[in-house]
Amino acid sequence: MASASSSPARAQQAPARYGPRWFDTLARWAAKSWMMLAFFVCFFLFWEVSIDLFHIPPYILNKPSEIVMASRSDFHRLLSYTGITAAEAVIGYVVAITVAVPLGLAIAFSSILRRTIYPFFVSLEMTPKIAFAPIFISWLGFGLLPKVIIVFLVCFFPIVLNAILAFSSLGDELERFCRSTGAGWARVFWKVRLPAAMPQCFVGFKYAALNATVGATIAEFIGSDQGLGFYIQITTGNMRPDLAFAGIFLLTFLGLLMFGAVTLAERLLIPWHISVRRHA
Amino acid sequence: MTTAVQLSNVSKTFGSGPDAVHAFGPVDLTIEGGEFVSLLGPSGCGKSTLMLMIAGLLGASEGEIRVNGERVVKPRTDIGIMFQDNTLVPWRPVEGNIALQLELRGLEPARHKARIDELLKSVRLEGFAHRMPYELSGGMQQRAAFCQALVHDPQTVLLDEPLGKLDAMTRESIRTDLQALWMQKRPTVVFVTHSIEEAVQLSSRVCVVTPRPGRIDRVIEIDLPWPRDLDVKRSPKFAGYVADIQGIFHGFGIL
Repeated sequence: MASASSSPARAQQAPARYGPRWFDTLARWAAKSWMMLAFFVCFFLFWEVSIDLFHIPPYILNKPSEIVMASRSDFHRLLSYTGITAAEAVIGYVVAITVAVPLGLAIAFSSILRRTIYPFFVSLEMTPKIAFAPIFISWLGFGLLPKVIIVFLVCFFPIVLNAILAFSSLGDELERFCRSTGAGWARVFWKVRLPAAMPQCFVGFKYAALNATVGATIAEFIGSDQGLGFYIQITTGNMRPDLAFAGIFLLTFLGLLMFGAVTLAERLLIPWHISVRRHA
Repeated sequence: MTTAVQLSNVSKTFGSGPDAVHAFGPVDLTIEGGEFVSLLGPSGCGKSTLMLMIAGLLGASEGEIRVNGERVVKPRTDIGIMFQDNTLVPWRPVEGNIALQLELRGLEPARHKARIDELLKSVRLEGFAHRMPYELSGGMQQRAAFCQALVHDPQTVLLDEPLGKLDAMTRESIRTDLQALWMQKRPTVVFVTHSIEEAVQLSSRVCVVTPRPGRIDRVIEIDLPWPRDLDVKRSPKFAGYVADIQGIFHGFGIL
């Protein structure tokens, strides 16, 4: 859909300017994305109408409008719980990037690490990390730390494995070119290896950003007394699907926000990469 | 003239024991300063391997290589090198890619601005300094890569099939530019190619390389006037060189 609407013929039509630049940007976005928007609107309209149409009782599912109204009644708790879940997800995610990228670099360049830690990581990647959650909670209690650790675990592996791939796949010819200049390791790293590795690193960052909120939510399901995962569990138990859905919407929003932030960072850092140019 | 590149009994074997692959040699060759020498041979004959050994990017298994009288034991930094797949990085514009060669050598690109502009002009890319590589055609990318390989004014230039992936017309046009660049500064050029016509047009001498394991079967002086423009290429003498070399490869069972 996106590629069809951004065909060269349409892109070349310079639209007349009606107002400020942001309005132009918005108008162009709307022109490109109206089908998607229309689908969302239809989806929620269908949901709204079908509750009455199919006589679905309110303890099973509510209308979107009722969910919005209910969330306003519990606004402050939802807001603070969103903050807590966001903190767990973001801290775990950022720590995972900080640890995994340098470690991936080390593994890519050390034959010893590649023969020891790397196979260990690959086998750990097969373990569902969330299986560790009950153990961490029993060790560390209901607080923030066990959730951050679980988010860290679900984010760490995609980042480290992609970073290893990223740092070990510089083309032969580019590497030879660098050697023929006599440049030292650090100079080659900053000028060539690091920028060349960024696109593959971002594959890991994006995948991990999706994992982060999932990890935080499930960790909260398993043992917590606050946060959106906890909220969804409690309200579902109390036969309040309207509030549970409010929590789900906020989690979705949180996930979108994190993914959007990483995508934005990608566009700013590697605007030259094909994956970015294709969507620009 | 002084000797620029001297190969004495050089050979290369990959691996060891029963799985060893004898890729190249033994080869003896002397290249004088300012010569344009082509290594002409079928693919897989090890001519790229030889070029990497001259650059010091690959060790020779036997024999000795000297560049400007010095024995090659580590990567030579006084040469310019270019490959079939260019070494333009996608995150820098054309100008930045040329500057990368300087930056990696610890030089300040701003102080060599005039040199960069002059090179871009010589390959007819003067309006494209700020374009990204992905905005250029394959031929323009290779022209930019020439500038990258030559910006530090190397006395010796190693070109490994730099035109290998281009269409015939673009190749023809870049050959002309390459010849002009060489005639202007007269560096020593080692040019790897599998195109007979290209080798005859550009070279002062053509080394005919046998199929694997590659050996230099014979060295042919190309006695044609410079620049080798369309008139020269239409001459019977040019056609004669091409036919002779075709005959040699026919003898190898390749053509």
